[in-house]
Amino acid sequence: MKLPPFEVHRPTSVEDASRLLTELGDDAVAMSGGTELLLAMKLGLASYGHVVDLKRVGALRSLEVSGDVLSVGGGVTHRELETSPLVRSLFPALSSMLADVANLRVRSVGTLGGNLCFADPHSDPATFLAAMGAVAVLGSGASSRRVPVEGFSVGPYETVLAPGELLTGVELRLPGPGTGVSHVRMKTHERPTVTVTSRVEVAGGVVTSARLAVGSVCSVPVVTDTASSLLGSAREDWEERVARCSAATAEAVEPVADADGAVGYKSALVEVLARRGLHRALELAAGSAGAGGVAP
Amino acid sequence: MTRLSDPPVGTATAVGLSVERVDARDKLAGKAEFTVDLHPPFMLYGSVLRSPYAHAVIEGIDTSAAEATDGVVAVLTGDDLADIDPYYGHALRDRPVVAIGKVRFAGEPVAVVAAVTQSVADAALASIEVTYGTLEVAASLDAALAPDAPLVHEGAVRPGLAHGLGALPEREGNICYRYGFARGDTESVFESAPVVVEGDYLFPAVYQYSMETHTTIAHHKGDDIVVWSSCQHPFLVRQEISELFGLPLDRVEVIVPFLGGGFGSKSYTKMEPLTVAISRKAGRPVRILNRVDESMVTTRRHNMKCRMRTAAGADGELLGREVELWLDTGAYADNGPRVTATAGDAAPGPYGWKAMDVRAHCVYTNTGPSGSYRAFGSTHVQWIGESQVDEVARRVGMDRLEIRRRNLLPRGGEVRPGAKGVDADLVGDIEAVAAAIDWGAERPPNRGVGISIGLLAAGAHPVSMATVRLGPDGGVTVLVGTTELGQGSRTAMGQIAAEVLKIDSSRVRTMGTDTAYTPYDRSTGASRSTTVAGKAVEEAALSVLDALLETAEEILGVDRAELTVAGGAVEAGGQAIAYQELVQRRFGLAGGELVGHGRVQPRGKSGGFADGPVFWEICAAGAEVELDPETGIVTVLRTSSVADVGRAINPQLVESQDEGGTLQGLGNALFEEMRFDASGTLLNDTLLDYRIPSFEDLPAAMSCTIVENADGPGPFGAKGCGEGVLAGLPAAIVNALADAGVAMRELPLTPERVWNQIRKQRIDGASSKD
Repeated sequence: MKLPPFEVHRPTSVEDASRLLTELGDDAVAMSGGTELLLAMKLGLASYGHVVDLKRVGALRSLEVSGDVLSVGGGVTHRELETSPLVRSLFPALSSMLADVANLRVRSVGTLGGNLCFADPHSDPATFLAAMGAVAVLGSGASSRRVPVEGFSVGPYETVLAPGELLTGVELRLPGPGTGVSHVRMKTHERPTVTVTSRVEVAGGVVTSARLAVGSVCSVPVVTDTASSLLGSAREDWEERVARCSAATAEAVEPVADADGAVGYKSALVEVLARRGLHRALELAAGSAGAGGVAP
Repeated sequence: MTRLSDPPVGTATAVGLSVERVDARDKLAGKAEFTVDLHPPFMLYGSVLRSPYAHAVIEGIDTSAAEATDGVVAVLTGDDLADIDPYYGHALRDRPVVAIGKVRFAGEPVAVVAAVTQSVADAALASIEVTYGTLEVAASLDAALAPDAPLVHEGAVRPGLAHGLGALPEREGNICYRYGFARGDTESVFESAPVVVEGDYLFPAVYQYSMETHTTIAHHKGDDIVVWSSCQHPFLVRQEISELFGLPLDRVEVIVPFLGGGFGSKSYTKMEPLTVAISRKAGRPVRILNRVDESMVTTRRHNMKCRMRTAAGADGELLGREVELWLDTGAYADNGPRVTATAGDAAPGPYGWKAMDVRAHCVYTNTGPSGSYRAFGSTHVQWIGESQVDEVARRVGMDRLEIRRRNLLPRGGEVRPGAKGVDADLVGDIEAVAAAIDWGAERPPNRGVGISIGLLAAGAHPVSMATVRLGPDGGVTVLVGTTELGQGSRTAMGQIAAEVLKIDSSRVRTMGTDTAYTPYDRSTGASRSTTVAGKAVEEAALSVLDALLETAEEILGVDRAELTVAGGAVEAGGQAIAYQELVQRRFGLAGGELVGHGRVQPRGKSGGFADGPVFWEICAAGAEVELDPETGIVTVLRTSSVADVGRAINPQLVESQDEGGTLQGLGNALFEEMRFDASGTLLNDTLLDYRIPSFEDLPAAMSCTIVENADGPGPFGAKGCGEGVLAGLPAAIVNALADAGVAMRELPLTPERVWNQIRKQRIDGASSKD
């Protein structure tokens, strides 16, 4: 329960960071805000002789909009993103989701990239980004590649990152008119127990796009294909369609039992939160606002 | 905040006013000193090696590498204690200073390293090699009570120095203490009663979670010991250290700076013996600063199982109650016997039973020791008893406030055989908490309201001394052994002295405790400080006032009856003499001071302290909750409490006490639960997994009604407060949830538990309709 000694490296470019990580091998780890990593090291769950601190890599700190795409550097903190006027005006659902992540101290230091790379199964941002169809940009200086956030995490604390590779940024499509985004979650301890994010688009009174991600109950966030059952439905069908979709979502997701609850309870929560979240997203889409609340 | 009565006009100069806390500014500015801020010269840093096993024989310890480490001054193991009787425990003397031959819980100290820096000590600790031979573990009440359970302790019970429980029973398996009482013919009452409610209940282990963890610095100098510690009871710590290390009491000095909260977790002796022992070996001062995970296995609140039944008449008359309790005290008794007795005392509740039978058991298990936590005993049982009263009301079709009005004990009524009778207006108290949550109002679906009332034996052993000094400049210093742990005791003690002497409370300074200079005080706990130590302060101040009046009589040449006291001066016939002048004229020079002593003891002139308990603290609360039946989430919308304090010395401090207790009550009812696995390992020893209430959990409204009937044995008719709401609120929340349709018999009310109960009730309901 005490932080063991380690050596800190402070590169200023993605190239240098990547080279250091490659050279130092398994005894090195990249650190962004450190809110998750240092805690794990204190608890003895992880141990590294070298920590490559990415906070001075300027290239990871960009935040920009190009067309309908929001690009967030891997080193942007939750708090910077949450309070960015750009994000608040163009993507209020993202801002409000982040406002309920952990606490102010953690959000002020923790980063979006760090959260995804740590790959804790209980994550609001990972669920949210998966539902948005966001893209993770991975790089090592010389080369880069793009993978969907949905497949970025492959298990608890495991990602597709190759040795020496960094998550340099995340790209999200901004919600346009007729888009409704909701993020609902429930937590019994510090980390969320269940997270459900819905993104729907309504045009001409019918659903034209629907996507749903369920997180924190399995080892990785799951994008189910159940939301497609809402396509083409009009308001008068929503009650019934959403009920069926939510039940199907609970069937499709296989929760892991842990201190937050047994499988049966978590499945029931997935159904409830999916139903409430979809209704909220549909209402928002029909009203064409972009925001969504957080409580179940 | 509502006060049912205002202080008499024109009489209060300090008491009854919400004066600013004397320590507020220093604490906000970071200037207040806590134990961790102190650095005696040549101080070393201690690091404690703790057992990973809950029950094991220590087959060998190799400390050679640690001892050879640069910067390490000493390494302590059980072998270093051969020259003393190394067992302590104020209730049962069952605990070795450091493990000797055997460990009994995961986290028990096995060795200590003292080194020139904390990091050297920590690193050296990792080089100590211990060979364990593991034993069968009894990590739960059920495991420890099983017929073939492994024994946590094998020897006979040795009474500790300050248990106050009379003759102690022999150990029986893992049951280290038993308490009980009975009145009337329970069997026949239950046989003939038209309504009987019964059930089995579970109460969780919880951690007191003060912001400051246990912190101790000790310096064993050979013939003297000095201890600086975050302890609530410095004089009892002094007594145990004196006994353990074989030095007279006056050669042991315990100094207590500010505490960052205690809530009972720092009552009695905790890390002090270990710290003194390593200092004795190192020959230098050593500090041991617990991490949170270490403090969580240093003390906690007892988890408990309970079987209770209540008999009633068809008209709602409460007739009989039978209770059996088993409290899990962990590997060492700590304050478990007292907690067990207090739970037993609280179990009947404040009703006029024709028959009652209470049996309480204190049980050893291979888990961290359990001790005091705010409102212990009452918090354990009140929610159970009060939920049965509600159930009786539902069955006989009576309003839940009405059933209490009809059955509550009147003033003077017998709570249990041999104890002081009821010393408060219970019906008035329960009506106040009910009114504050709009009892009887229409509510939307999935809402419920609950109320509860109980009694907590308060005051502990009433022995306190105090000294008040009035200097030649009119300034007053109060020396009293009460520990300021955030409750505002230094402020309240200052107000009491100021009121007696009719001066502004800003002219009074109340010091922290140094047992070498501060008069004896038994302890800071059981809501006793204002009542008992405050009474001693009042008497000490009265003694100073007497000397002032005596001097004024001489100077003015008048009888005492003609003297009046106001504004720091004595007046007669239009002539006022300031205290400064009185002191100076009495001693003839610019120096000198008037010193007064006050004393409270069970018998003698302080007659109000003759019967136990000192007073019954009223545990009354109300709650309104909202249930989300689909997720099981229970939200507490508003709460109410009564601070039946006799007289509020500082109303704002009284209210703050109830606010703090309300939040802890919410935590105990809704979230908090220490989880041990079958091997005795604590699974949730960080805030990630052990959830305490945060500001997000605050109810939208909390109301505290201050009741002042001047019926307490303390100064100005005061009696203690601050604990009752913690016992009252979980009971009110459980009752409110039952009112919303879900009757629970296990705390905390986690969403999953509530959801499971909802499903069970639906299935039961469906099958009963078949």
